[in-house]
Amino acid sequence: MKNPFIIYIIQRILQCIVVIFIGTTVTFVIPRLVPSTNPVETAIARAQMMGQYTDPKAVDEMRRVLKKLYGLEGTTFQQYIRYWGSVLRGDFGPSFSSFPTPVMTLIRVSLSWTAGLLLLTTILSWIIGTLLGGLAGYFSEKPWARILEIFTNAIRPIPYYIMALLMLILFSYVLPLFPRGGAFAIGLTPTFSWQFIRSVIIHAFLPALSLIVVGIGGWFQNMRVLVSNVIREDYVVYAETLNISPQDILYKYVIRNAALPQLTGLALQLGMIFSGALITEVVFNYPGLGFLLYTGILRGDYSLIMGITFFSIVAIAVGALIIDLLYPLFDPRVRYT
Amino acid sequence: MKSSKAAFLLRLVLLILIASLVIPTTFSFSQEKGLEVAPGIPRSETLILEDPSGRSTNPGRFNLWGGGVSSWSTGLQQLALDALWYIDPDAGIEGKTWINSLAAEPPVYNKSFTKMTVKLRKGIYWSDGVEFTADDVVYTVKTLAAHPEMSWGAQMKVNVKDVSAPDKYTVVFDLTQPNSRFHTVFTVRWCGCYIMPKHIFEKQKDPVAFDFNPPVSLGPYVLKSYDSAGNWFLWERRQDWQRTTLGMYGMPAPKYVLYEAPGPAEKRVMAQLNHDLDVIHDIAPEGVVTLKKKNPTSVTWFDDFPWAHPDPTLPAVLLNHEKYPLNMKEVRWALTLAIDIVQVSLASYNGAATISAIEVPPTGHYLEWYFDPIQPWLEKFSIKVGGKAFYPYDSSIPSKIAEKAKNDLGYNVPTDPKEIKARLGYGWWKYAPDIAEKLLLSKGFKRDKNGKWLLPDGKPWKITILSEAEARPTMARAAATIAEQWRKFGIDAVHEPTDQVWTRTSYGDYDASLIWNVETWGGHPDLFWFLESWHSQYYRPSGQPIVAKNHMRWKNKRLDSIIDQLRRRSFDDPKCIDLGLEFIKLCVEEMPTIPLMSYNVFTVCDEYYWTGFPTAKDPYTDPVPNWANSKYMFVKIKPVKR
Repeated sequence: MKNPFIIYIIQRILQCIVVIFIGTTVTFVIPRLVPSTNPVETAIARAQMMGQYTDPKAVDEMRRVLKKLYGLEGTTFQQYIRYWGSVLRGDFGPSFSSFPTPVMTLIRVSLSWTAGLLLLTTILSWIIGTLLGGLAGYFSEKPWARILEIFTNAIRPIPYYIMALLMLILFSYVLPLFPRGGAFAIGLTPTFSWQFIRSVIIHAFLPALSLIVVGIGGWFQNMRVLVSNVIREDYVVYAETLNISPQDILYKYVIRNAALPQLTGLALQLGMIFSGALITEVVFNYPGLGFLLYTGILRGDYSLIMGITFFSIVAIAVGALIIDLLYPLFDPRVRYT
Repeated sequence: MKSSKAAFLLRLVLLILIASLVIPTTFSFSQEKGLEVAPGIPRSETLILEDPSGRSTNPGRFNLWGGGVSSWSTGLQQLALDALWYIDPDAGIEGKTWINSLAAEPPVYNKSFTKMTVKLRKGIYWSDGVEFTADDVVYTVKTLAAHPEMSWGAQMKVNVKDVSAPDKYTVVFDLTQPNSRFHTVFTVRWCGCYIMPKHIFEKQKDPVAFDFNPPVSLGPYVLKSYDSAGNWFLWERRQDWQRTTLGMYGMPAPKYVLYEAPGPAEKRVMAQLNHDLDVIHDIAPEGVVTLKKKNPTSVTWFDDFPWAHPDPTLPAVLLNHEKYPLNMKEVRWALTLAIDIVQVSLASYNGAATISAIEVPPTGHYLEWYFDPIQPWLEKFSIKVGGKAFYPYDSSIPSKIAEKAKNDLGYNVPTDPKEIKARLGYGWWKYAPDIAEKLLLSKGFKRDKNGKWLLPDGKPWKITILSEAEARPTMARAAATIAEQWRKFGIDAVHEPTDQVWTRTSYGDYDASLIWNVETWGGHPDLFWFLESWHSQYYRPSGQPIVAKNHMRWKNKRLDSIIDQLRRRSFDDPKCIDLGLEFIKLCVEEMPTIPLMSYNVFTVCDEYYWTGFPTAKDPYTDPVPNWANSKYMFVKIKPVKR
């Protein structure tokens, strides 16, 4: 007899591969559909926009060699086949805008900063937001729960850019406690020294705090609403009539059930890390994938766009797959029979 | 029990929050901040400039010739590279705009412009102690010609038949065809073809792949360190700075120079208020007002309104001549007369724009070469409307802008008409929608019952005007205002801000586009630099990308004749100014694009640590820090004793 769990896993893995294939194909096609986006023309236009003298006789020659150099010769389908060949070899080729630096080198440098910042802030804000939201939902009549709700309701509508800028003004200019940007102090080179690590922590603090404060708001609100629904469920009412202790009801019945959608949200949010945090990076001059992707889009850098989005697609798809597979551990009601 | 556990959890969360706030502050950022920019780098010996390109995504690459350098404003082209000649857009450090840099004298052409001889300066050394010679120039040209994918490579391949060094300090170029402007490839305006160190590059297998890190410098500074994340580049003055071309003018005062990406405009303002940023590249006029009010040491090109440095670049409304009805000059004129430039200036630059009615920017020496001589002709210029002459030029417009800026915005504006002209321009076209209406009616246009214009074939007339988006807010505001004015006039006009404006305009995928395709030397009257590619031989129809600068797809025999005549004359032939004036008159008659203003750059320098930045009173060079010419300010500024 076939094991239904194995069948389920195979089905989900196949689904995951299809999602990655479709996502990657869409990523390949979309930049090519954007009107007048062409890395060769973008490179030439950028040179001219900056005030470089361009001999008109040389322009056609530039076009010819750049097209060859960027691997843009042949039909779109031929390029598409070549692209999959590169992806399967784990090589996205050179970045057009940073030619001939490989896309993987650019991604590697930015990813370390993005992953460090966003992994920490996403997990921290999830834990704090979920916990506080759960408590505020369960003890909704308590004054502190109302204050928390008012506080998060007040923060949520503030555009992130304004929030980040306010924090920067407050903690970097009014109270000069933190640097105004960058990943580490000027003059330092990355080493495993305490001086460098301390500098990295200090520089990451404000960007992290801004992301956590905003992140908490979302998780808090979701959890509070989920808990306020769960406490009206029959099984919670039934548990109360059986005189089960409130803390058992809270942690074993309410939070455990309400946290399930939050867990799915966390998995997807962790996958989104590969898209970076553009506004954070711009406001705090923090290195990361968001600015790299934005630069790639502005400069028509297909290979860079596809490199970053490929990782993002894979991370989200795999994150969703993992959480699906782990669901029975969190929710005993889920059975693969 | 229930509430005590909840309270414990709440306290735990609060503790985490407080700890996360307190612990890093105990590391004390103030230890890092203070009198040093970086460990061992005193603030008082460091000049800090903005890199307007933002964070470099590829900071370890310094091979400007090989391409892929994400920012040109990290100090590399300003401090470490050098070219044969520079043309200063302002007065020039020696009081002359032409500067012989690595070359000892201007280029010498043969009569047929097929050979160019260059004499090089002696006693110039690379930072590793190797002497700069003709071999470096020959190597640069041959390497670039062999690699057309490199910056300037295609230009060398197309133009150079052979290059040789008859002696250590002479280079002879044999050109593939007569070219009286070949030297301009090696002449820095914003940038130019810099010379490669032969002794470094010849050891590399692939000159394109080579990162040139650390760069061997031909300028007075060497790279000390850089941020692997791309936010800053720190340069240190060479011990042997005397053996560089800039050293001829004295010792560059800052021992260290830091180019950094300071972030959004708000942060730039705050950084300068804290004296942490000596040179802001560009900022919105409101930012300048704040700095001038709150920081007594902030200086600008003009000490008061309109503050900005007018770059020799001309933003204009480019009209696609292949899009009906924009192929008709009467229509282009009608669109011009439906623009109220006073409002455009106020909306885009808070009135701090230097307007231009003609096809060259009102900057540098162009006032004396082109603007002064053309004024009488402009005053007399008329267009025929309904059989009557209409005189569209209005020299009182700059005064109207000044008055509005004073009354509406409370700025201190100059009252001397000469000063107003120098700062805000000489004049522009009258706002005359009534005349514009007559012009359209004469071409068969009609209004519908709602007053909207219909094309002669009865279809509604729609125009989309493109501009850059948040990257250039002044241009976006100007385009939005013009679209609004055209709508008010009855045209279904839409403003579309897009980051793809340059490529879309290049492909002809536009009706109107607010960008620039006129860039002049500022310090030299020759217009061939941008005008060459307006010749019909380089015309490309919509759907194909343009060759260089003729985005509007304008073809005109008189224009071709002017360009041909310029081509046959030498760069310094005084007749070139006459041909330039002829070009300007032709453009006024045909209105191929609607010229608006010079590209005003609101560079703000802080004189807290350094003084002597270039200004309109002492215009020895361009202060805008992404220009390579800005290097000349390093030998003119002086430290402030504190």
